[in-house]
Amino acid sequence: MNLEKVIFSFFMILALTLNFGFFYGEIDDPIHHNVYELFAVIVVNLIATLMKFGDKSHMGAMLLATSLVAMVQLIAGSIVWIFAVHIHQTGLTPSTVSTIVALSGGAMLANIISVILLMIEASMFRR
Amino acid sequence: MNEATSLVLRRMRTPFTLIILVYSIAILGLTLIPGIDDKGNTWYMSIYHAFYFVSYTATTIGFGEIPYPLSDAQRLWVIIIIYITVISWFYALGTVISLIQNKKFQAAIEASAFQRDIKNIYRPYYVVCGFGETGKAVINALLEEHFSAVVIERKTDLSEQGLNDTLEHVPSLTADASDPASLEVAGVHLDKCHGVIAVTSKDETNLKIAISSKLLHPDVMVICRSEYKEHEENMLSFGSDHIVNPYESFSKIFSMVLHSPSMYLIFEWLTGAPDKPLSPPINIRKGHWILSGYGRFGKQLHKELLKQNIQTVIIDPSDETKKSFHKNNHTNEKFIIGIGTDAATLTQAGIDTAAGIIAGTDNDSNNLSIIMTARQLNKDIFVVGRQNQMTNKILYEKINEHYLTSNKKNKNELVPIAHLVMQPSEVIARKIRAILIAPLLIDFIQLAQHKTPEWANITISRLSAVIDNNNPYVWTETINKETTPAIAQALGYGRRIELKHITQNPVTHNKKFECITLLLKRGDDFILLPEDKTELKAFDQILFCGLRQFKHAMLPTLTDITILNFVMTSTNEPQSYIWKKLTHALQKQDRRAVSRSIR
Repeated sequence: MNLEKVIFSFFMILALTLNFGFFYGEIDDPIHHNVYELFAVIVVNLIATLMKFGDKSHMGAMLLATSLVAMVQLIAGSIVWIFAVHIHQTGLTPSTVSTIVALSGGAMLANIISVILLMIEASMFRR
Repeated sequence: MNEATSLVLRRMRTPFTLIILVYSIAILGLTLIPGIDDKGNTWYMSIYHAFYFVSYTATTIGFGEIPYPLSDAQRLWVIIIIYITVISWFYALGTVISLIQNKKFQAAIEASAFQRDIKNIYRPYYVVCGFGETGKAVINALLEEHFSAVVIERKTDLSEQGLNDTLEHVPSLTADASDPASLEVAGVHLDKCHGVIAVTSKDETNLKIAISSKLLHPDVMVICRSEYKEHEENMLSFGSDHIVNPYESFSKIFSMVLHSPSMYLIFEWLTGAPDKPLSPPINIRKGHWILSGYGRFGKQLHKELLKQNIQTVIIDPSDETKKSFHKNNHTNEKFIIGIGTDAATLTQAGIDTAAGIIAGTDNDSNNLSIIMTARQLNKDIFVVGRQNQMTNKILYEKINEHYLTSNKKNKNELVPIAHLVMQPSEVIARKIRAILIAPLLIDFIQLAQHKTPEWANITISRLSAVIDNNNPYVWTETINKETTPAIAQALGYGRRIELKHITQNPVTHNKKFECITLLLKRGDDFILLPEDKTELKAFDQILFCGLRQFKHAMLPTLTDITILNFVMTSTNEPQSYIWKKLTHALQKQDRRAVSRSIR
């Protein structure tokens, strides 16, 4: 067992599961989408991205790309949240909530691809 | 992603993970701890504000307690986060700094800069392995001829060794050149790499470079330095194009000196570096030679002496050498046991009547001592010295100066103390220069060696008339469509072009360029010193010698058909369409008039 692989897979799968947790629920209902969960998704995704840096293989490049996509979407979502709550102070209206959740849905898709790639890599690994 | 960036990213993974974790804990804590706003209400920091707060606190910027003064509970948490975030930032910075100082990282940075340089070379270039005296001389020769050069050298701090003094930027890589990977980094397999020059001090390394280069790129030209016969054969079997053995080259030079000093002078002048002063003519008296040190070097030179039927007295300290000498040589030559640094041994060898002495031991201080002693005993003796250590080069130069000044006092003619010094790096650099700049020069020297001393005397006087006191420049012109379009076109019309046409100055009438045509190569045939009337054919290669400016002055005749016409017919031909028609018509009338008058 390789400890590095454990940590690596842990963060990638955690990124996906947390992302799903935030995404799940009525799309425009603020009660179903907790801002702390979004925070956790961003933090875990950041760490997952960092873990993928410096891998020179082709698979490594693909994994890094999916993580970067997820990061872009999540940060966009968090900026929407900042605008709604702090800058315009309109609060979490159904339309902003659905925008944030839609963006996190895109990020989840990227995370799913990332986990699929991880599974493919694991299945190719024989020893 | 190149080596350097991936190294940075891999090393920074842990510190950055730590920072993210610490930040997220800090932000989370700040949002959960209640504070009191300006109206006395309970207030929770939002994630957005908490991130702002942590960002300026962790980086020690410290804007203060924004937006409201913190409660004591919040302050307790802030104390904790200040310590953990600042420490994790310092940890990250420390990692970055230690990475920058890391040797491996610096090598990776250098390698990536080197690779970028290689990518940006757009003309033929040569890879020079080994940046010693020889390497430096070879690089200067390459740059002068507008080739690019890159260097692979094992030792660090190349720039301090004078790579910065070169005419232009020479990319360098600090690596072991015998490692095929470093040759690949230098782009040996690329088409624009024309040659690999292996001039490291070790034969094994040069051999390995030759093998790997030929395997990476079979068409590449490989020039190798070699000191031992076994390695040479190995190098040849791998298709090295040129093998330069300093001992063999030097023994050839020595045989030239014995055969005809003028011949040697021609060689010296033509192959010397352009910034060195021309060597003065030399004179050797008749008489026997003294050879001190009968090793690898001494044996080579002894062979040359035997070829010229010159009696030699050999001095060597080893008894076994004497036995083997008498076993292998049936001549009745004298063999004295000793080193030759003392007057007694030299007198025994007959120094008073000797024509020359060779200080050829493998010890520089012995050689210098032999030279000094011999000089004191016989002023007019011809001295051949052998320099073993590169660092002793300065000694041989110094001793020269010393002798020159003492000679001036005696009002004798100026004679350097050692007329001929075997400096391996110098010998090799000469040969490689010739190979790179004018390959025909080597053919010329080889052909000229078979000529009589009288021929050499005439040639040297012609040469010195042309170049005066300047250094001669040797260049090659090839008759073909690319380099000499005018000649190729004229030959295509079936016109007869002679050598004198291209050596004539196109600006002034009936004036020749001050240059000598050394050699003309047609197929496998050579014409030594071709005459002015020699007819030129397509694909001829012509070797010229003269001042550098004449190479450029000759160019118009070779490339511009109207100038060639002018040179051949001494008339300016019309170039525009209408003028051509007009002159044509006028010429017709003229011809008619002439024929009428004849009738």
